[in-house]
Parts: sequence; structure tokens; C-alpha cells
Amino acid sequence: METPTLLNLYRDMWLIRAFEQGLEREFEKGNVPGMLHTGLGQEATQAALAWHLEATDTFFPDHRCHGINALAQQRHGGDGERIMAELFGKATGVCSGKGGSLHSADPAVGNFGDNAVEGSYMATVLGVALAAKMRGRPRVACAIIGDGTVGRGEFHESLNMAAIWDLPVLYACINNGYAISMPVGEGHASADIVDMVQGYGFGSKQVDGNDIVEAWTAVGSAVEHIRSGAGPYFLEFKTWRWQGIFAGEFRPEAEVKYWKEERDPIMLAAEALGERGVDQAELDAIEQEARDVIEEWIEFALESPAPDPGKATADVYVGWEVSSR
Amino acid sequence: MTAAETAATKPARTARTPRKPRDRVRKASFTQALNNALDLAMERHAEMFLIGEDIAEMGGDFGVTKGLLAKYGPERVRDTPLSEAAIIGTCAGAAMVGMRPVAEIMFADFIAECYDQVVNNVAKLHYMFDGQFKAPLVIRTACGGGFGGGPHHSQSVEGWFLNVPGIVIVAPSNPVEAKGLLLGSIDSDDPVLFLEHKALYRSRAEVPPEYYTTPLGKASIARQGSDVTVVAAMRMVPMALEAAARAEAEGVSVEVVDLRTIRPYDAATVLASASKTGRVVVANEAPRIGGLGAELSARISEECFSELRGPVVRVDGLDTPIPFSVPLEDIVLPGTDDIAAAIKTAAQY
Repeated sequence: METPTLLNLYRDMWLIRAFEQGLEREFEKGNVPGMLHTGLGQEATQAALAWHLEATDTFFPDHRCHGINALAQQRHGGDGERIMAELFGKATGVCSGKGGSLHSADPAVGNFGDNAVEGSYMATVLGVALAAKMRGRPRVACAIIGDGTVGRGEFHESLNMAAIWDLPVLYACINNGYAISMPVGEGHASADIVDMVQGYGFGSKQVDGNDIVEAWTAVGSAVEHIRSGAGPYFLEFKTWRWQGIFAGEFRPEAEVKYWKEERDPIMLAAEALGERGVDQAELDAIEQEARDVIEEWIEFALESPAPDPGKATADVYVGWEVSSR
Repeated sequence: MTAAETAATKPARTARTPRKPRDRVRKASFTQALNNALDLAMERHAEMFLIGEDIAEMGGDFGVTKGLLAKYGPERVRDTPLSEAAIIGTCAGAAMVGMRPVAEIMFADFIAECYDQVVNNVAKLHYMFDGQFKAPLVIRTACGGGFGGGPHHSQSVEGWFLNVPGIVIVAPSNPVEAKGLLLGSIDSDDPVLFLEHKALYRSRAEVPPEYYTTPLGKASIARQGSDVTVVAAMRMVPMALEAAARAEAEGVSVEVVDLRTIRPYDAATVLASASKTGRVVVANEAPRIGGLGAELSARISEECFSELRGPVVRVDGLDTPIPFSVPLEDIVLPGTDDIAAAIKTAAQY
């Protein structure tokens, strides 16, 4: 990887981290309704995926994917702040505030939205991929899932059908070790998801999800494989989420310390850039720039109006109006 | 689904009567009308495909997709493994990028396997993503009892979806409208659950050969009358018509409203008929509690209270699963006699 590319990815990772930290702050202040699931600690996988997916590709983000949503929105739409506004439930959000954190979508940038019944889009992704194949277009349809989703029936239905139909699907499994509180090895037949994927007979690879170079390289190869018409591919990113559970931290102190202090993907990337001769001042400037951008987005979200009341009954059907009370 | 199960859905043949000379216009069955609708729609809509279990070579468990594989090929007539959630997910994803898929879920009971896909994804994606996506897909499925299919091959599932905004439920009662409503459903940009009552598959009528649509969301007056209104759908419609004919012999004039679309239903037509006659029967094969009959009864009582001469009379299935044994099934499911009795009750008000 060239140093300028690594610097850009470093910038992307900081944008994700600043986004999530800013969001946590605003959530605690009561400015963000609903629930909050952050992608802190998983910045490398999201930056790697966002880098390689074009606006004409499709991705189904999971509930910790504010970062990839924001990067896609910024890169392909030039309006990343609309992801922030969506999370605040505002009229300027990508879904006019009707979707929120768990249902932010903008097809113009390839974002087909999360389905908060985790993994249900494992089935939906098949249809997007099938349409691309029937139309002869070299598109990638990507489902970003967590390790918990592996327990869903749709996970297996999807892998099976993608295999028999040779569909252009990229499965990106962000294995952060826990499905809420259930450790991956207790919830599944294997703690290594790729082991369970073997039987479906298509390409798969396990990568270090906290190593941006390794993650970026693996996504690039998988996307190339799929675009060439070679069928589905499964990537498992081994990583760890910083956020505990609703009640707080439940994981052993040593584990928390290890992942936050020794395996922080941004810190690892900074070390790699340092070894390439990039000085600390430049890295600090990148961080500050990301934090400034996010503060602007938060300001935008806070100042944006609530959705028009008419939105409450709009778009239930295409062919019928739903009357208000 | 096995061949034995298929056979079980067909009534045993009784002694043959001598064939009459063939009618000048050959009547088509409900099944053939649906098959013809799919054929015409596949010709018209390049973005349409069919997907389901055993629908290609086998032509579907009830023969509705027969011959379409040979005409349109395996890309557009797709057999799947037993993966109902993946079938509906595939339809949803394809519809989100402008395709127009038509799925077959072999028996409506199996929709429980893809209930999440229908309720949380298909029905909501237009709304929750602020109109950025549409879901122009059709889910065809065989519903209803009366043939000894037992608890998992006989249910009427419209009630499972009545409380789900965003889904359209279409429920034809005869071959002519089955074709028109299926073409209307395929043309629609909303997701449609298309219910095919198994007892109607063999009903026959003169079905126009051309491409025509019957409007969704509009009920029809299947029979005009002035004393009692019966609101019904699917197999309850021919039963209501039979009961109406019996009532006429006793001097009671019965109007039969065929809902045709169960959600969103045509309240204007229902309420106008209820107001006109002042006596209403709602007939519904599914269990009583929380079903279509409950909704219609509540709505009519609420909006036509001053015109009603007495309470709305409900005819429903009993509040049980559907037993296998035919004599028991006859007890559980409503029939023509039940509707006739309800008409008598209503007529006394």
C-alpha cells in the first residue's frame, strides 16, 4: 500500500471515530433519540469496505455502521452530514428522520439500509445480486453482518442460495467477539466463522480486522473476485467492539485493556505511518480535521428542523393515501 | 410437499357423467386463468421473474406456473430450495433495484417461515426509507381449508397480515377476477400478498384472453339485494351467493359484497351497502378473534350505527387449529349453511 493511500484511510478511520464519539456525547445529552450502537474499535474494517465499494455497488450496513454510511455519503454524495441528521431524527436526514440509526439508506450512494432484525438483509442481498447478474452488470452486493447474525436461519439460506446461483455477493462478517453478551465461541459451532462457511464451497478468508492494510487488501481482492464474475466471497474480520452493553462493561479488564491499548486500529495505523516517516504533527492535524468536520455535522443536525408532520403518514403505500387522525 | 400431499388436495372423482358437447367458448379454470395472467405479464414485463419451490419443471404444486419454464427459461422461472425467507428476501432486494418478482409460497401456512421478511422488510421498506425504494412484488400463495389438509396446509392467513401497514392483500373469488387481480397486482408498485383459495382452483368461467386488470382496493357487488348485506371474500363469496339464492326463495333479498382486496379494503362500498340494508353478515373462514370479520364488524358498527337495525352477525372459523379429520374440519370451518343461518338471524332485525 502506498503511503498516501494509508494516510487517506487513516483520515477515514478518524472520521468514523470522531463521528461515534461525537454521537456518544450528544446521546448522553439527550439529543439523539432511541438506542445507540457505535462502531468504535471497528474503524479499520469499515474504512476498508467503504474504500472499495462504488456508488453503483450496494451495501447493507449493520447497526454499528454509521461510519461506513457516513463515508459513503461523504464520498459519493458530498453530504455526510445527512447521516448525522438522520440519527438525530431530522428532516435533513437521508430518510427525513424516518429511519434513524438502524435504517439509514441512500440508494444514490449504494446504501440500501440496515434492517434492524439483524441479518434479515442476508436474504435481501440475494435479490440485489440476482438482479445485477440477470442484467449482466459487474456489481457487488455486500451484506455487512456481525458474528451474532451467523445464528440466523437467513444466514444459511443466503450462503446456500448465493452458492447455487453463483451470485455476486460479498459477505463481510465483522466478528467482534460478542453477540451483545454472548461470546462467539459459545453461540456458534465455531468461534471462527470461516470454518462454518467452508461447506458452502465458495471463497472465504479470515483477516485481522484491526490491521487496516490487511483489511483493505483483502476487501480489494474480494471485490475484484466478485466483479470478475467468480461468484460470492466471504470475509471474516476479527475485531473487537469498544462499546460494552446497555448495563456497562461486562468483559474482563485485561481483555478491554488489550484491545483498547494494544490493538486500537487507529493507533496501529499511526505506528505504521510513523515507520514510513510521517511525522506526528501531520497525524494530529488529520485527527483535528476529522473532529472539526464532525462538529460541523453535529451543528447541522442540531439546527435542522424536525420532519414535516405529513411524513408520519406518507409513503405507507405507493397507490394509497393513509389518512391522519 | 410430496406427490401424496398433492393428490390429497384433489377431490376424489365420482362417477363420470357423459360429456356434453364442448361449449363454443371453452371455460378456463381459476388455475388456468392465473397461469394465463402470469404468461401475459411475463411477456409484457421484461423485469419480471417467477421464483418459488417446484414452480419450474413441475409447474408449481397446483400447476399455476405450468409451461412457463419452457417459454421463459430458467433465469426467469426459478426453482429454489426450501428457503422461504430467502425467496421473499430475494424478491425484496430485486424489487428495490427495479425488478418485478412474483414469488410462490407453496402453502400459505409456510409464510410463517418468511413472516419477518414480509412484515419487517417488504411491508416497511417504502416507508422507513422515506419513499426511496419501492417493493413491487407479488407473493402468491395457496390458502384455505376444506380438503383434509390438516393444521399446516389449510389455514387462512389474511388475519396474520391485517395489522401490517404497507402490505396489500388481494383475495379473488372467481377465475375472471383472479386473472384481472393478479395482473393488477403485478402492475402495482406496492407489495401484494395474493391469496389463492385452494377450493377455488377448479372453479371455471369464461375468461377473456387479453391482458386486463381488475382494480386493487375496490370491492364489487357480486349480487344486488335490499334486505341483508353479506360481506365476504374468496371461497366465502360463492358460499354467500348460494346462501343468498336460498334466502331469496324465502323472500329475503341479499346483497353480496365481494371484497376482492382485503387490505386496504374498500370501506366506501362496504359501508354504503351496510347503510342501505341496515342488516349485515360478515363471512370469514379464519378464526374469529382478531380477524377480518372482527375488523369489518367494528368498522360497520362504528360508522353505520344509526342505520343498522341490529348487530352485525359474524360467520367465522372456530377458534381452533384446523383438524385433519374431515368431519372435524367441517365442524371448525364455516360453510353455506352457517351463512344461510346468519342471514336468517340478520333478517329478523
